[in-house]
Amino acid sequence: MNNSSNSLRFIGIGAVIAIFGGLSGFASEYMLGIGFTLFMYIALAQSWVILSGMTGYISLGHVVFFGSGAYVFVLMWGLVPVWLGVALSGLVVGIGALIIGYPVLRVRGPYFVILSFGLAELVKNLVLINEARMYMSLRPVFGAPSLAQLYIAMLVLAVAATGLTYWVRRSRFGAGLRSIREDEWAAETIGIPVARLKLIAFALSGIVPAMVGAIFIMRSGIFQPGDAFNPIVSFTIVTMAIIGGSDDAPGPLLGVGFLVILQELLWANWPEIYMIILGILLISFVLFAPSGIYGWLSANISRSKKNAA
Amino acid sequence: MLLEINDISKSFGGLTALQDITFSVEEGETLGVMGANGAGKTTLFSLIAGHAKLSRGTILLAGQQIDGLRPDQISALGVARTYQIVRPFRGLTVLENVAAGALYGSHQEKSMAKANQMAHEILTDVGLDDRANQPAGSLTLAGFKRLELAKALATGPKLLLLDEVMAGLTPNEVNEAIGIIETCKQKYNFTVIVIEHVMKALMRMCERIVVIHHGEMIAVGPPEEIAQDEAVIQAYLGAEK
Repeated sequence: MNNSSNSLRFIGIGAVIAIFGGLSGFASEYMLGIGFTLFMYIALAQSWVILSGMTGYISLGHVVFFGSGAYVFVLMWGLVPVWLGVALSGLVVGIGALIIGYPVLRVRGPYFVILSFGLAELVKNLVLINEARMYMSLRPVFGAPSLAQLYIAMLVLAVAATGLTYWVRRSRFGAGLRSIREDEWAAETIGIPVARLKLIAFALSGIVPAMVGAIFIMRSGIFQPGDAFNPIVSFTIVTMAIIGGSDDAPGPLLGVGFLVILQELLWANWPEIYMIILGILLISFVLFAPSGIYGWLSANISRSKKNAA
Repeated sequence: MLLEINDISKSFGGLTALQDITFSVEEGETLGVMGANGAGKTTLFSLIAGHAKLSRGTILLAGQQIDGLRPDQISALGVARTYQIVRPFRGLTVLENVAAGALYGSHQEKSMAKANQMAHEILTDVGLDDRANQPAGSLTLAGFKRLELAKALATGPKLLLLDEVMAGLTPNEVNEAIGIIETCKQKYNFTVIVIEHVMKALMRMCERIVVIHHGEMIAVGPPEEIAQDEAVIQAYLGAEK
């Protein structure tokens, strides 16, 4: 890879981001809504990859960060400026993740999967109890920024999360995480401080989803614990990352793009078969292409290059 | 003294795996560890590398107490270990496996480019550089054993613990492996403790050999002496009437 093709690539990426940003000026509400969803899931799936794709600690409860971020945000609603509130919700959830991550990440394999799911349910119920105590069954969020503004904010988060995954994958930190994924014991043997790296990955993986949750609440206009901590969000994130490929930044882009388009096509006409198709897809990818669309593509491209040479 | 093992014992519940082991290793030495299966050789490595806690005794590396430290901390102080049952990072490339050692271990290399460069050099040393970009999972057993060695070397060890890196290899491959280890030892200047069942290899490589039998140290000395030692012969061949 030489410098000119690298800078060409950066210009290309910059142009795509600029086009998506520019669309906020004149696209219809419907199109902005789809874009908003697309960016939201890109940000979520990329964040998931930083923890689960890199370390192999499969989180089935990533909605816990999303929901907690949303809750922290609505608690601050009206007390602090909107965008400061978004940033603070990321910060608070990130710090929370550092605290809770230490005991949680001592559990491995399938037990971690169950624990992550349970943790999300636990936090949901704690929020429910707290809301009931305060006589709040739902909290409306009045006077939120326009959809076009939220769309731009979500685009920023999607770009940030994608950049973060791209960086982690090529960094010393990421080399440590991927070693942990392959063999935690052997990783520790060659000097990788596994507990510390896992904890940092866990917190990094939670910050963007918390901010996504905050922005999502402004779009939906109402906070309800059942929606903010909906386990379907967790499942969707995992499905998208696995179908796209979870070892590098292009994977989630492909997975999210594919599924959001599929959802738009099917949801309108055959909503009842959407979940069935999703299930079949997930099983097929896990069985036949465990490295996802991106992994499959890169393996085949490098093979055909080799054949051509 | 690079390594001092002072009267260490290890028991798992009621079972004593190692009892009252005392020996030391000089800088630059190659020390062999001999003993039947289950004698406690691998447990000894686990204790030195920090994967198991001592029941009694102390371990000093260059005068610093290392028992009680975590494995990654001990690695950062310059102790590297290979596994008898190889533990490659199968999903990563051969190069990534070795570079990870250089990025952490005692090198703590911060630059990815430099770590990759070091990894290439070590892969050349062990004769695996032509496989650098393959997934590690695609190697043969002899390849895995070399990768295991390369990963350990990449951490920049002062003390290298080799646990049966030659088990399962053909006589030819054993000779090659001994050559690689000796060349690297010259080049990178480290001390070796080696567990090996291939007796010839042990006799050839080591200046001294420690013999462990049922968790106890029954002899220590140069290979010629060990070969003549009454207690060793009894333990290995059974007592004569």
